[in-house]
Amino acid sequence: MDRALSAAATGMAAQQQNLDTITDNLANSDVAGFKGQVQRFAELTAPGEDGSGTIALGPQVVLSQGKLDKSNGPFDVAIDGPGFFTVADDRGKRWYTRDGQFARASDGTLRNALDMRLDGVRVPAGALSMSVAGNGRVTATMDHGTQDIGRIRVAEFAAPERLRGAGGSLFAATPESGAARVVELGTENGPKVRFATLERSNVSIVEAMMQILSAQRAYEANAKGVQAADEMLRIANNLQRG
Amino acid sequence: MDALDWAGSAMLAARTRLDIATCNLANVSSDGFRKLTARGVLTSNGARVHAEGSSQRGGIRRTGRDYDLAIVGPGHFSVRDAAGRVVETRSGSFERTLRGTLVDARGRTLLSDAEPLIVPQGATIDERGRVLAGDIDTHRALALPHDSTLRAGFLEESPVDPIAEMVGIVDASRSFESAQKVVGAIDSLRQKNASDVARVR
Repeated sequence: MDRALSAAATGMAAQQQNLDTITDNLANSDVAGFKGQVQRFAELTAPGEDGSGTIALGPQVVLSQGKLDKSNGPFDVAIDGPGFFTVADDRGKRWYTRDGQFARASDGTLRNALDMRLDGVRVPAGALSMSVAGNGRVTATMDHGTQDIGRIRVAEFAAPERLRGAGGSLFAATPESGAARVVELGTENGPKVRFATLERSNVSIVEAMMQILSAQRAYEANAKGVQAADEMLRIANNLQRG
Repeated sequence: MDALDWAGSAMLAARTRLDIATCNLANVSSDGFRKLTARGVLTSNGARVHAEGSSQRGGIRRTGRDYDLAIVGPGHFSVRDAAGRVVETRSGSFERTLRGTLVDARGRTLLSDAEPLIVPQGATIDERGRVLAGDIDTHRALALPHDSTLRAGFLEESPVDPIAEMVGIVDASRSFESAQKVVGAIDSLRQKNASDVARVR
C-alpha cells in the first residue's frame, strides 16, 4: 500500500486506541482505588526503510497513589503506600484491589460492591462499630468492651505492573507479576492501612480532558494526511488524459 | 533528462515529502521518537528528496512512574530484543520484571555494558544512572555520556510539531499539483507537435 496513506492510517488507528484508554480512565475516575492507564506508542519500521508510521503498544497501568479522602463509611479502609487488598469471590478465586469500600454482609464478612469477601476479618453480630489500626489490626466495639476481630492483610507483588486488569479497580495475579506476598504493615516507611478513609482514583479529570483534546486533534491531523495522500493518487491517475 | 523527466522527478520528490510528513505526524505521541526531516538534493536524474534522522529532541514530561527514564543531553538506552539484536533508543518507558530486569513495551531488555541491568525491588535510579536501593548504592549503573543526566519519573516526548507537519503536508500537496501542471503543459505541447505540426494540408 501507499506509504503516506498507510503511515497516516496507522496514526489514526493509534490515536483511536489512545482515545479508548483515556475515555476508560475518565469513566472510572470516580471509582475508589481505580488506577489509570496510559497508552504507549512506538515508531513502526520496516527493515531498511525510514519509517512507516506508528503502533500503539497497549495500555500500561499507572500504580501511583490516589488521593486519600476522609469518608463516612463505617467499614471504609485505604492503603497508604504500595500494595493491594486481597478479596475472594464466591468460588474462592482471589482478586487484588485498592478499593477499600466495604460493607458488612449478614454472615459478618466485609464485602465490596462486587460481593467479594475481604480476607481475614469477620465482624461479630452485636458489634457497635469497627476500627482499624495502621498495622491492619481490626477491633470491634461491643457492649462489653472491645474485641480483636482479625487482621487486614496487604499483598504486594514483585512486578505489580504485570498484574492483569480485570475491570474497574480489580486485578488478578499472573505468572509475570509473581505470587502475592503479605506486606508487613505499620513500619515507619512502609505502607499503612488507614481507617475511615477512601483512596480516590489516580486519574485527574482535567488531565484526561486535555489528553482527549490532543488525541482528537492528532487523529484529525492524521486524517488530513490520508486525504492529502489520496488527493495525490487522484491527481496522478488523471495525468493521462483521454 | 528532458523536461517531462524533470517535472516527473519533482512530483516524486513532493510525494516523498508527504511520506515523511505523514510518518512524523503519525508519531506525534511516540515517546523518544526520532523525527525525520526531508532533505532535497539536485541530481543528474532530477530533484530528489530523502529522509534524514533529525537530532531535535522533544520536551520532558512528568509521568511519576519510577522506571520511566529520560536522558537529558546526548546518549541513548541500549535495549536487546528477543532475537538478541541490540538497538539504541531514546524511548525510556520500562517495567520491572520478576527477575529484576527492566523491559520496555516491546519486551526489549534494558542493557548496561551489554548485560541486562538488574534492579532490586523498590530501588530507584538517580540522575547519574546509578541504581540505589534505599540509600545504598548497588554499584550497578546505566552508562551515560559525561554531560548527560538521567531523570527518573519523566519521559522524553515526541519532538513532532503537528502544525509544522500539517504545513509540510499542504506544501507537499501544492508542489505536487504544480509539478503535475507542468507535466500537463508539456504533454499538451507534445500533443500539438504530434497532431498539428505534422498535419499535411
